[in-house]
Amino acid sequence: MSDEHPLSTVARRVRALAELFVETDLLRLRIERGGEEIELGRRALHPDLVPEIPHDLGTLESHPVRADQIRADLVGIFHLSRPSPSEGDLLESDRELAFIEALGIRNPVRSHGPGRILAIRRSDGEPVEYGSVLFEIDRG
Amino acid sequence: MRTVAIFSEADRESLHVRQADEAFCVGPGPVPRSYLNIPNIISTALVTGCDAIHPGYGFLAENARFAQICADHGLTFIGPKPEVIAAMGDKATAKRVMREAGVATTPGTDILESVDEALHAGEQVGYPVLLKATAGGGGKGMRAVQHPSEMERAFASATAEAEASFKDGRVYMEKLIIDPRHIEVQVLGDEFGNVVTFGERDCSVQKPSHQKLIEESPAPHLSDQARSSLLDMAVRACKHVHYSNAGTLEFLVSAHDVYFMEMNTRIQVEHPVTEMVYSVDLVKEQIRIAAGEPLGYVQHDLALRGHAIECRINAEDAYNNFAPQAGSLTKVVFPGGPGVRVDTHVFSGAVVPPYYDSMIAKVIAFGASREAAIARMERALRETVIEGVSTTIDYCLEILATPQFREGRYDIGFLPRLLAQSGSAESLNGASPAAARAPQAKPVGPPSAN
Repeated sequence: MSDEHPLSTVARRVRALAELFVETDLLRLRIERGGEEIELGRRALHPDLVPEIPHDLGTLESHPVRADQIRADLVGIFHLSRPSPSEGDLLESDRELAFIEALGIRNPVRSHGPGRILAIRRSDGEPVEYGSVLFEIDRG
Repeated sequence: MRTVAIFSEADRESLHVRQADEAFCVGPGPVPRSYLNIPNIISTALVTGCDAIHPGYGFLAENARFAQICADHGLTFIGPKPEVIAAMGDKATAKRVMREAGVATTPGTDILESVDEALHAGEQVGYPVLLKATAGGGGKGMRAVQHPSEMERAFASATAEAEASFKDGRVYMEKLIIDPRHIEVQVLGDEFGNVVTFGERDCSVQKPSHQKLIEESPAPHLSDQARSSLLDMAVRACKHVHYSNAGTLEFLVSAHDVYFMEMNTRIQVEHPVTEMVYSVDLVKEQIRIAAGEPLGYVQHDLALRGHAIECRINAEDAYNNFAPQAGSLTKVVFPGGPGVRVDTHVFSGAVVPPYYDSMIAKVIAFGASREAAIARMERALRETVIEGVSTTIDYCLEILATPQFREGRYDIGFLPRLLAQSGSAESLNGASPAAARAPQAKPVGPPSAN
């Protein structure tokens, strides 16, 4: 006994075609007959766009983001260090992210440990005051 | 003209921050890390494209090194030249320079290097003596020493307080003149050698800590001869040192003598009383002079009109040794009307932080006569409402009501004597009107000054 809901004739035919379509490598299938027409298609997904499904869903835990704010401890002009850090960059250890130029002196702004850059809150060349938030770092 | 304000994290909501075109935080609440943080202040001026810095009347206003650093970075310091600040702002040096200019000074010493030197100097000058911070003002770093046995402790505390307040712990000594009047002369000089005076202010209503509480201009019962002598000495002194911009020469005036005490090479807290009676904007004049403009007028063009009084509204418990208060101001209402001026940085909801001077407002009243000015001040103070912290409002009203103040016959011993008679925990008339106001704020650390 089938668990399926009663299907119309058209629906049954579409389902049969869809099963056939899935078994092939076809990307698009169009059938015209006696005034009826049906078209099936699928997009070729890039492998990188396919979400990775964990092998063991039972071990997956949610990690709350632990964000640190790196603030300016002096007044000056904010400059990103080279190579320029970007949002999303992983920081494997402490590194210089930027510097604040004040009275002609270059004052490094360091990540103070590993993490991932969540946000860069100031633009290159922008004046910053004491306490300005410069970076947000995920320490999780 | 556009303005950039600096502020500490504790002053983020202050009125001056809101009213400036731009505002930059220069550090956390404690003074050494913000308002005395010269690199951050200079850097702020540079990154915001400032042409000039007005140093106000506290912190770095009399710091010659700061003025020089401004110049080194192409910034105009709105004040005298660094070398003049160094000479006149340094109180001990100023007295030496004044003697060279033929101005009478109180007997005293140059900078004292040690307690032993202070003890030796005390014997020479004759007790009682006063230890004073050479970089200071407003009573900070000042200690009266009645007897040699008090010297070691007084020297240590004066030096420590001066260092903490001005980044300069050096002190000098002068003879303590018993109960003189404190009368000061407002001067303006330009870069072209022109010097004028804007009369005098009587600042003799001082707390036992030597901090001024009520000032007025002109000084009551000052003879024409004494006034003329004061103003002449002030002009002579300024011309001697080629003084430019605003300054104040403070004199001790006793029954028979006038002594130069010190010069403040900056605008002063009490400058509004002078502005009221001379209809002049002294800060605007400071900026004009710093921009290289000549004064554009001579002494003869200046005329005093009427009388003005200033009362300092401090967040202090006047009935508990003027203990400074910190906390939220739950309600603030200032007076208005003709002849009333209020200078303030607070408002309803503002927080008085524990880090700074306790003065939260100045109420200034003008009148055609001294009596009219007093009456207007009394009305203005009664209109003023400040809730959340204890203030000096009621105390000022009580002082205004005393016969001594009414008659204009008081000296710097006036307030300490009244306190001694009535006890600092009681009002001058025996009952504390402030007692009904339960203090809602907690006392905070160091005593305030200006």
